[in-house]
Amino acid sequence: MVLVGVIASQQVLATLGRVQDARIRELAQLHVQALSVALGPHVLRDDIWEVYDTLVRSAGGADVGRTVFTAVTNENGRVLAATDPDRAPLDSQIGDQVVGAQSPEKLTITGDVVQILLLAPLVYQGREVGQIFTELDVSDLVFERTRAAMLLLLGNAVATGVLALIGYLAMRRMLSPITRLARRMQETAQAPEPIPESELPRGDTEMTRLVRTYNAMVSAIEEKSETEHRLAERERFVSLGRLSSSLAHEINNPLGGLLNATDTIREYADRPDVVRQSSDLLKRGLEHLRDVARATLDHNRLDRSSVPLSLDDLDDLQLLIGPEIKRQQQQLTWQVAAGLTDLSRFASAPVRQVALNLLLNASAAAGQGGQITFGVSQTPNELRMVFGDNGPGLTNEASNRLLSSGPVAPGGGVGLRLVRDLVAELDGHIGVERDDGTTEIAVRLPLPQTGKAGAC
Amino acid sequence: MHLTRRNLIVTGGAAMMSTPGLLQAQEPFRLGLTPVFLDNDAGVIERLRGALASALGGSIELEQRRTYEEVTGLLLEGSVDAAWLCGYPYLQHRQTLSLLAVPVWNGQPLYQSYLIASTDDEASRLDDLRGGTHAFSDPDSNSGYLVTASDLARAGQRPEEFFGRTIFTYGHRNVVRAVADGLVRSGSVDGYVWEVLTTQEPELTQRTRVISKSEWIGFPPFCARSDKMGDLRVRQMQTALLDLNKSQVGKAALRLLQLDGMTDADPSIFDGIALRMRDLAAQR
Repeated sequence: MVLVGVIASQQVLATLGRVQDARIRELAQLHVQALSVALGPHVLRDDIWEVYDTLVRSAGGADVGRTVFTAVTNENGRVLAATDPDRAPLDSQIGDQVVGAQSPEKLTITGDVVQILLLAPLVYQGREVGQIFTELDVSDLVFERTRAAMLLLLGNAVATGVLALIGYLAMRRMLSPITRLARRMQETAQAPEPIPESELPRGDTEMTRLVRTYNAMVSAIEEKSETEHRLAERERFVSLGRLSSSLAHEINNPLGGLLNATDTIREYADRPDVVRQSSDLLKRGLEHLRDVARATLDHNRLDRSSVPLSLDDLDDLQLLIGPEIKRQQQQLTWQVAAGLTDLSRFASAPVRQVALNLLLNASAAAGQGGQITFGVSQTPNELRMVFGDNGPGLTNEASNRLLSSGPVAPGGGVGLRLVRDLVAELDGHIGVERDDGTTEIAVRLPLPQTGKAGAC
Repeated sequence: MHLTRRNLIVTGGAAMMSTPGLLQAQEPFRLGLTPVFLDNDAGVIERLRGALASALGGSIELEQRRTYEEVTGLLLEGSVDAAWLCGYPYLQHRQTLSLLAVPVWNGQPLYQSYLIASTDDEASRLDDLRGGTHAFSDPDSNSGYLVTASDLARAGQRPEEFFGRTIFTYGHRNVVRAVADGLVRSGSVDGYVWEVLTTQEPELTQRTRVISKSEWIGFPPFCARSDKMGDLRVRQMQTALLDLNKSQVGKAALRLLQLDGMTDADPSIFDGIALRMRDLAAQR
């Protein structure tokens, strides 16, 4: 648009320039012709006064203001008279003064030069008897041209401005649904909400389709979120699911002994020593069962967020993982460092879940008769838990689940994605190292500020 | 045209000899004017013609030409009945011409020739103008040529050699203009004209400066052919000129010309011109 304006303006100015050139040429030719007729005989007779008087009188004529200066020379370039004798004295050579002078036929106004030089032969009775040198004032034409240029510029600027404003308003109107959409997306970034039908742009436009697509995406996100939530819940139970059979064994195994003990008590009710021994056995077995039940219950207690982490939780972990270790005839190295003074700053549930899932993974990876290590230590800034096994190492998929937030295929691994999410919520960091046939997963959890329970 | 008219007068005069008064009353009096005077001012000329016509009781036809020579020629050949000449052509044709009247300026029938230059020119005498450009009025003008030429002749110089360039403007006012505009460096001009111009066009004379003035010389006179001096109309014209300051219109015309009146001065007032003519002729 601006380019079109500029080109059009150029055309107008070029045309104006041509018109002005034609005008000044016609004027110059008339000027020269009139002077030739008037001056011819005087120049021929070398009548200085008449040449001068004619020049002065013609300078005060119709062209007044146009001709700034005129000099007439003989055929040798010697000045006969000039309207300003000081500038071209009588008998001096016109010489350098005519440098740059143009002929009347080719006269042209260039740039912002307000005075142009004209040199024409003075022809009288078919013979060139001298020269007419004139300086023409074209400031009015230059001003006219400059003014035309300014007006065009101004016009273009106004037109461009108006069109730009109209364009802006039109674009803004066109983009208003997108603006609303963007605002809504920004406002509801945490939990995207669909745009109500009442706010949909009218008609079956691209905008309507866009908003409908957005709404569909919001629904999809909600569904996905719901699914993820359900998955996370399920993952939480997966570990227990894995444990359930071994826990059943754990409960079942002593049951035989305990039933035997009750039989013994019943049979030897008159023998206090046997009764005491059997009831001790019975008590120990029931206590074990109680511990197993408590640990399991603790792990699934709904209201766990406010319970701080303690060394008991670590014991529970050992109790919970113990049957699985035993079942697989694995060797577990349990290293709880001294001076874990700040455990209570963490909430127990997420830490327990992380540790249990990673222990179960280590156990699964180590396989029958494998070796598993668990170490927990504390630095001034963080709690560090290291899970080791001599299994074949993490598969790519497992690694992806544990270390990234990218999409995962269902199944595989025991709650590794849950581990990742819980650690991320605790602002922690997970590192995986494979060295000399041993896989080590290190979880570092920064110590929360004192007085604040865990984020979960 | 003039030839035709002259022929008409001659033939008509011969045919109608019985009624010369009627013919004279019908024919306008032809007065030649040299361009040396303030011929650019149509108002002045018209006023002079009106005053003379009123005094003469008939119409007056003014004849103007570019050069003194042409006007003098008109007078000599009889195309005009009288002419306002200059003392120089009068003396050149002293055998043929007679004085009708001599204008009186500032109380006497005399004037001066001025040598002028532009105001910022440092020349203080004629010799300082050597090599420069110079404007003369007319080769037959006393104040506008003869005075300067004879001054140079007395010093053994010729104008065309002394000056780098000389031009003739055929008008005293033109000389002042040429000098004032810078077309030429200096000029020879009628002192009376220059003085009148100082009151009428001060912006023009202010750009010029008088370098030197000549001696007082006889003012440009009104002349007629000597053989026509007896004609009634010529005598009436002489009376009209001499009595110009006695009528209201005449006084008004004289006032415009800044003249006091006309007098029948003695030809000896032109002796200075005769002397200069002799010196110039001696050089040639």
